[in-house]
Amino acid sequence: MPTHAVPGRGTAARRLSRRSFLAVAGISVAGALAACSGAPTGTKHLRLSSWNIPLDLESYQALADEFVAAHPGTSVAVEVTTGQFHQWFITRLAADLAPDIIRITPQQIGRYAANGSLVDLTGAVPPEYQDDWSKPFWAIGAKADGLFGVFQHTDNFITYYDRRVIEQIGVDVPQSLDEAWRWDEFLEIAREAQRITGRYGFGYGWGGPETAYRWMPLVYQNGGAFLGEDGETPSMDTDAAVGALDFGRRWYADGLVSPANMSKSGGGAVGRDLFATGQTGLLLDNPEAIAALDEARPDEWGTTYMIRNEGEASDLGGNALAVTRSSKHPELAAELVAFLTSRANVAEFCRRGNWLPARSSLDAADIGYERHEATMQQFIDQATTIPLSMVRAQSGPYFSSLNSVFADYLDLCFLGELSPAECGTQMTEAMRSVTTR
Amino acid sequence: MSPHGETLTVPGTPAVATAAGSASVAGPASAGATTRRRRARWAPYLFVGPAGLLFLAFSLVPIVIAVALSFQDTATLGEGSWVGADNYRTMLSDPLLRTALLNTLVFTVGTVPTAMAIGLALAVALNRPLPGRGLLRALFFVPMVAAGVVVGVIMSWIFNPDYGVANNALRAVGLEGLPWLTSPRTAMLTLVLVVVWTRIGFCMVIYLGALQSIPSELREAAAIDGASRWQRFRRLTVPMLAPTTSILLILNVVFSLQAFDVIYVMTGGGPGFSTTVLIQYVFRSAFADARMGYAAALGLLLVLILLVFTLLRQRATKKAEELL
Repeated sequence: MPTHAVPGRGTAARRLSRRSFLAVAGISVAGALAACSGAPTGTKHLRLSSWNIPLDLESYQALADEFVAAHPGTSVAVEVTTGQFHQWFITRLAADLAPDIIRITPQQIGRYAANGSLVDLTGAVPPEYQDDWSKPFWAIGAKADGLFGVFQHTDNFITYYDRRVIEQIGVDVPQSLDEAWRWDEFLEIAREAQRITGRYGFGYGWGGPETAYRWMPLVYQNGGAFLGEDGETPSMDTDAAVGALDFGRRWYADGLVSPANMSKSGGGAVGRDLFATGQTGLLLDNPEAIAALDEARPDEWGTTYMIRNEGEASDLGGNALAVTRSSKHPELAAELVAFLTSRANVAEFCRRGNWLPARSSLDAADIGYERHEATMQQFIDQATTIPLSMVRAQSGPYFSSLNSVFADYLDLCFLGELSPAECGTQMTEAMRSVTTR
Repeated sequence: MSPHGETLTVPGTPAVATAAGSASVAGPASAGATTRRRRARWAPYLFVGPAGLLFLAFSLVPIVIAVALSFQDTATLGEGSWVGADNYRTMLSDPLLRTALLNTLVFTVGTVPTAMAIGLALAVALNRPLPGRGLLRALFFVPMVAAGVVVGVIMSWIFNPDYGVANNALRAVGLEGLPWLTSPRTAMLTLVLVVVWTRIGFCMVIYLGALQSIPSELREAAAIDGASRWQRFRRLTVPMLAPTTSILLILNVVFSLQAFDVIYVMTGGGPGFSTTVLIQYVFRSAFADARMGYAAALGLLLVLILLVFTLLRQRATKKAEELL
């Protein structure tokens, strides 16, 4: 190196270099810390967190950009909710780093509305909004002490069928909600379907232990309830609830449903996979199945309404938007929630992502789905059968814990480890230990 | 003590002695010598410092917080109310905890010795000159570096009773398919199989390293003395591997007690409660049930189990070394 010609230069250069390095490092760390501290820049920045569904992330960002254009001095970043929801949200709340706005399911919202993690949106959301939501859907965010979220979009369960199988059985497919197959009719058709497929009759659209609640509509279809009228008293030991458990047990005892198709086992959408590969003739599932079936068996399937018994009921899927207590600009965040849940924006979001609107005044034609408009209208019609008492039970403060209990005991009952009556009694007892905690 | 252990401790000692020695030979301490001495004194702390800070921030402080949390009733990681030893009292009468502990024991006993035995067998086999030995070693090690969630998802498909490769293979040879993950009687066994598969590569690599450090003269001497191949393995190789076995045992037990992702993905603790293990119950208590205080108490129970096991094992290893 040329520096060796100058005495002492080498050492000085090394020393200088070390000092320079430390100085640069110090400045960088200080800069990074300043950046992390969120020093005021004049812009009100909001963060919205959503599930990692690419189409939805794009939709939220596009709508948020419109909001920002109308609100100079603001910015909105759309983030992804990662990992297990409760773990992710609780740790961020504890660090006061939760996003301003969160996309949250009806089954998750109750705990956070009750423990002060969400901001009351009363006053920020236009009062006329409530008129365009059904009572059950509004009740997801509306609690006794405030409005803690606005239900943006929903989904639920209807019946998918294999056209070839149904033609061979020679049965007419229900054309309206009041013609929907009753349990005994459905089991007969499922047995025929099993005979034709040579494997199973039908599948159910669970997607892991967290989705055990998707079976709960069956309890309500039989006149039962998960929690009593007060929304807190466990009631899975009633005759109606035990009757529903008995119906579920028969699915497996008679070999109509694969034992791999249960909420706690299977490793994914087993029911959907079996239907897509022709191993079942029927499938009770939500609109998410459409894309998979379009890919695997285009034009080979059709849909009709969800099964029923004494009453009608379907799964409560979908998401609400809520503002978290970590928000530094809760009024602006609430304004964004109101913007995203406006009639036009709900329609746009549902059109892009193939979701069902939470607003009652929107039908499939209003939304303009690109494909399967008739099926999407069936889903929209089916949404009217979701019972208010089931919504209150599922969006209550204990539901995340109760859902684990539900998953555990459904497994034990369906596998034949417990009789339906034993299951009802033990499940109620386990639920009571949660609600009296 | 293994040759490795002794070699590792030796070089440090003369290095420090030399630095100190050179200062004393120089007579009255010059500025340079003082600086060197000071550096020598601080160097160990500087080396240990970063790791120590990380340990403090991510292990010690959280453990202290967990201890405090275990005496509280709180649904979140924020404000809670002090409840004394209530969480620990609840543990005594919690039937699901008993099930989880029993399942953890079965899972640990099923995975640890099996993975170690197969790992040792593979290490012995692949320690000999074989064609494609490097490739085979890599293949056995690959499952260890695969993410647990990925392994769980793939294995769920493989062991699916309807369209899984496992049952299709059984049916292809005229056997009945098995309800791998869908029966409380077979689910734990299936999980053990999967976890053993992921872990044998790790055991194999550690044993390979230890095998290669055994001087070949010892084996040759034993052979000259007339020891059979089995006798050489049993009387020479196995005792020489004892320290490695001890470390592997502790590591494998820790891995088994912490096995979460594969079980979470493959069975969710089911069917029923048949594969609910302690770490999963801790997670469930914390995040599904929102009982942070109780989850912290359960977590500390897990730490206690690990501590007791490690101490017992260390004592046993020490005794074994004394006997050698």
